[in-house]
Amino acid sequence: MDWTKQIARYVIVMLLQVLLFNQLQLGGVCHPYVYVLCLLMMPITLPHSADMIIGAAAGLIMDVFCNTLGVHMAACILVMFIRPYLLGAFVNDKDRLTEQIHLRALGMEAFVKYVVILVVVHHLVIFLLAAWSWSHLGFVMLETIVSSLITILLIIGYNALRYK
Amino acid sequence: MQNLLKILLRYSNFLVFIALEVAAFMLIGFNNPYPRSSMLSTANSFIAWQHEQVSEINGYFSLRNQNELLAAENAELLNRICSMDSAKNREDVHYENAKVVQMTTGEMHNYLTINRGSNDGIQRGQGVQNSEGVVGIIRTVGPNYSVVLPVINTHTNLSCRFAKNDYIGTLKWDGKDIRFAQLTDVAAHMVVNAGDTIVTSGLSPVFPEGVPVGIVENSVLKEGDSYHTIRVRLCTNFKRLKYVNVVRNKHQQEIEELSNGLD
Repeated sequence: MDWTKQIARYVIVMLLQVLLFNQLQLGGVCHPYVYVLCLLMMPITLPHSADMIIGAAAGLIMDVFCNTLGVHMAACILVMFIRPYLLGAFVNDKDRLTEQIHLRALGMEAFVKYVVILVVVHHLVIFLLAAWSWSHLGFVMLETIVSSLITILLIIGYNALRYK
Repeated sequence: MQNLLKILLRYSNFLVFIALEVAAFMLIGFNNPYPRSSMLSTANSFIAWQHEQVSEINGYFSLRNQNELLAAENAELLNRICSMDSAKNREDVHYENAKVVQMTTGEMHNYLTINRGSNDGIQRGQGVQNSEGVVGIIRTVGPNYSVVLPVINTHTNLSCRFAKNDYIGTLKWDGKDIRFAQLTDVAAHMVVNAGDTIVTSGLSPVFPEGVPVGIVENSVLKEGDSYHTIRVRLCTNFKRLKYVNVVRNKHQQEIEELSNGLD
């Protein structure tokens, strides 16, 4: 998948995010940030620092739509920072670690572990920073569990359909 | 020096990470509205536009509820006006909000059905109006629904008067155009101008006095005629009738019994 397709996917996912997922209001605990899919599935051909800058940009764009300047940016930078280390840890067979990152390329187990950890980290950082205090920790945890679950299911579902 | 450079290069990714995170946290720390607004000034109009579009789209899904709320509120406000407006003798009138669930407009004998019935206190002979003007008269009442004989039915006769001088006439419909009705029984000596306003007479308990009916479109008086032929443009747009108010006169039964006793 070349970069044009990556950008096209990013635009479509962001449209869905802003028009659909940001509008969900199920008791205030359901905020799936599905746009992180584009970051997780981005090829790993670029230098690590470039990855982080792309993450920062994607987060900042999301922040502008959510009116939470810096929150998504911080979470996305963190995700892009730990991404290569996770991939290195989970994918034993280094030959599989080519450019592509998706269900078929990584294998089921490695991909699911990779997605679960990064999505939970991403959502947890966002909700903690948005709450900006430890006193709402219980609610933040509930928010993280519910929202991450939906995001993880959507990302894995997309992969299962697209990269059988 | 060379060692320092080596260290910097070795940890360059981590330094980039730290620098970016510091930038992000500085952004979060900007609770001061000035940097926030100045940073986003270029994006602001687009973002505002996006929020507006989203709220507009969402608004469509709640339109039905909003309409019902507004219609109920209108009926309530009408009731309050009536309770204040005792000079016009309207304190005996109560309005019941209803929704039109079915109607015909293309026939000689048009009918419409509303979602209120005897369970809501609706009775045969009560008047039906909406915010524009007169709609019709209740004809048949079921437990939850009622059928209304609208003005645009050739069976309907409605007692009306000119707003300018209280001269009385009877409104009928010729079955041709749902926008126009005919005012009859207006004697030749009466001066009728296009643009005169026709309102309900208040002579029957069906409608309170002064509910808008229509505006005189034109009037013909042929040589030797003793009555005008008056074409009235109806206030009510029957093509897009959606919500109506049923007029409940508390003394309607008494008035009807009295006048029946005369026969």
